[in-house]
Amino acid sequence: MEEKINKAQAVVEIIEFGPLKITGKFILKDLKRNKEESPDEIWLCRCGKSNDKPYCDGSHKK
Amino acid sequence: MDKDDKHFSGGKRYRNKDITVYWKPSACVHASYCYRELIEVFDPSRRPWVDMEGSTTEKIIEVVNLCPTDALSWKYNDEEKNEDVRADQYNHVKFRRPELMQANNEANETAPVSVKVMIDGPIVIKGDFDMINGSNRKEVRDGLISICRCGVSDHQPFCDGRHRKTGFNG
Repeated sequence: MEEKINKAQAVVEIIEFGPLKITGKFILKDLKRNKEESPDEIWLCRCGKSNDKPYCDGSHKK
Repeated sequence: MDKDDKHFSGGKRYRNKDITVYWKPSACVHASYCYRELIEVFDPSRRPWVDMEGSTTEKIIEVVNLCPTDALSWKYNDEEKNEDVRADQYNHVKFRRPELMQANNEANETAPVSVKVMIDGPIVIKGDFDMINGSNRKEVRDGLISICRCGVSDHQPFCDGRHRKTGFNG
């Protein structure tokens, strides 16, 4: 039988000293703010300092 | 939207681990065999109206085979098993809707990756994705990872539960 390997639906990138970048086919559920969206590309805060969570707002640079 | 209840070109489809049941609303004449025999699975007052976890695969096949039209049909998720199905399985797609025998790619289409932002906690990512960390690229399939969002994990980029101690609010 031919082996089936799933293709990646999305790419998750850890930006060094920066946010988490996600691109591709994904559904983002924000349980804290009770929001759901499926954008093509997103940057999520990893430092805890963003004033626009869950998104990165560049605060990690300060 | 639940992936089991998505529209596709042939109507709607519902899956459990063994089989896929196809529903073609335009063909239904409301003969009502399905819900009289198995309301746990086929409940027209519920959305989605088909719950594949409501009974056993054997029972679902038996009841789908009672449908007098091609409104309900079924096939195994294991394509090899579909070749050997005999004619007493009246509503197998091979007899009812042969066009769906070729619908493999669509049936096997994988779900989008799930990204969950947990309350005052990490980002939990589930599914088939590639992960890039510096020069390292890893293919994660049917996987689950948890990424730190508070910045204090000792196990970066992953969550190690420290947000609970520091009282992360975000």
